[in-house]
Amino acid sequence: MIAFGCSITAPDVYARCAERGFRRVAEPDSEIVANAAAGSLFRSYNLIMEMVSGREDLEALVLAHQDAEIVDPAFCTKLRRALEDADVGLVGCVGAIDVRNIAWWEGSVTWASFAHRYTEHGGGEVQAFTWGNEAFPGYARTGEVESLDGFMMALSPWAVRNLRFDEELASQIHGYDLDFCLQVREAGKKVMTADFKVVHHHSLELIDDPEVWIEAHMRVAEKWEGRMPGIGLPNWGAPHQDWKQRARRAEAEAGAAQLERRSIELRAQARERQLQAELDTVLNSTSWRVTKPLRELSAAIRARRNGSRR
Amino acid sequence: MIVFGCAVTQPEAYERWAARGIARASEPDTVVYPNSSAGSIFRAYNLLLETAAAHDDLEALVLLHQDVEIVDQEFCHKVRAALSNPEVGVVGCVGALGARSMAWWEGAVTWASFTHRYYEHGGGELPAFAMDSDQAPPPPYARTGEVDTLDGFLMVLSPWSVRNLRFDEALGRFHGYDFDFCLQVREAGKKVITADLKVVHHHSLELLDDPEGWVEANIRITEKWEGRFPGLGSQPGSGEDDWKARARRAESEAAAARTIRISAQMKASARERELQRELDSMRLSLSWRVTAPLRRLALRLRAQRR
Repeated sequence: MIAFGCSITAPDVYARCAERGFRRVAEPDSEIVANAAAGSLFRSYNLIMEMVSGREDLEALVLAHQDAEIVDPAFCTKLRRALEDADVGLVGCVGAIDVRNIAWWEGSVTWASFAHRYTEHGGGEVQAFTWGNEAFPGYARTGEVESLDGFMMALSPWAVRNLRFDEELASQIHGYDLDFCLQVREAGKKVMTADFKVVHHHSLELIDDPEVWIEAHMRVAEKWEGRMPGIGLPNWGAPHQDWKQRARRAEAEAGAAQLERRSIELRAQARERQLQAELDTVLNSTSWRVTKPLRELSAAIRARRNGSRR
Repeated sequence: MIVFGCAVTQPEAYERWAARGIARASEPDTVVYPNSSAGSIFRAYNLLLETAAAHDDLEALVLLHQDVEIVDQEFCHKVRAALSNPEVGVVGCVGALGARSMAWWEGAVTWASFTHRYYEHGGGELPAFAMDSDQAPPPPYARTGEVDTLDGFLMVLSPWSVRNLRFDEALGRFHGYDFDFCLQVREAGKKVITADLKVVHHHSLELLDDPEGWVEANIRITEKWEGRFPGLGSQPGSGEDDWKARARRAESEAAAARTIRISAQMKASARERELQRELDSMRLSLSWRVTAPLRRLALRLRAQRR
């Protein structure tokens, strides 16, 4: 039996995204555990694990964010295949190697079969590099990784029964995925990616609480440095044990990143002004204004046609 | 006599902007030194200092980037007023207090009387908060006077600074020359001040085209000056000597800053797509297409009238 679990803070989002995905791929004997969030995501996920760990027929527990929608009709088949190897503890659809901290995307991402669907600015979709079915870049491959993106993770029965999310990290949400992957690997099990197709319905704001994220970044690094190779090392440019040099470089990198972000915002504002000026040219033109009644008539006819179809 | 100096790497940019501004501001006895520059701005500026220092009647040396255009008719008058205090070592039109690193804009900017004119995306202007006080009253924190550091795109050096200080060529090729020079001025007991000098900075919207060079320069300058000025090189929330804790925090903040940068890029792309969609839907509409001949005719008639 494959179980699906979700920690819910926004029931409408869950109904629109995660639940729809669960229902799409669930099998007759699947169990869906939809819990209200119990404090942090760490604690909520532990509760779900407790609830299903006693099921003797458990084949996997799929933990998904409320805004993650599984859109892969072959999901369960792919999941069983991925968990055939008894050494696999955890499977996801986005993963990376050479991960050194909770910013796993700064490692080498090997697989990402998801689409990021946003609603800002009229809505749109950013497709990750293995979302489609063809023309993957040369570095795309499923298989063993060091960390997954936690918005969708499938746990083996062994992981459900033997591991727990570390509530001691005292974070609401950030870092639970890397920490859990490290626990799986420390226990000698594998973390894998598989070609699950998932849509992540998410804002374009990737970090909405930077200070909390920063705290989680520090705690996970402190916990794991020295226990797993690579974890807690600087990204580049400073010797590992020279903390002063590491501080200097990172402080400078943060300053540079902020300046680059400002450049991006300035360019975006300039491009917006340019496009807005082009729009105004059309809107203020005589031909656009005199043909307004025609467009209104056409819209009314379309609306009536659509109405009669319903 | 006021001397103007510029390190030129693109002669056409210099002619179009810096030379035009200098011509606008200069007086009959003004001397201009547009020197070609092949390497670092530190070295190029030091050559200009050596040259200017030879003028016995030197009142000030104005160092400006080739893409900076002075648009202030009273420029020389304001420079003299600012340098009338012999304690002043350097003057600029953008400055900040509380600068702890080369990222001086993370301090409290007190004055910025310039316009950033860009040429991408059809071009445009981003006036800083004290550029046009007639049109937009400056914010309450706007004030000229003493600051910790200046933006180096325009710096006016007193004769004392020209004869007693030099740009530190050991620091690199471009970044940080302004911050380091201001620290030298202050360490010598002189003042760094802002004045209401109006300039246009003709610059790309790319504020940082070599992040690695900037990072290296920031590290070098912090190493050079830490301990010599209060607060310099320190970070809020970090202990004085706990470098491990400071490194942890800095690495986390840097990762967050990089992720927020990705977010900014995604938002920018999404907004562009939204406007482009709207524009396309108008231009591809039947009413816009069938009226195209009328617009062409109107265009032709307007051209004939001209």
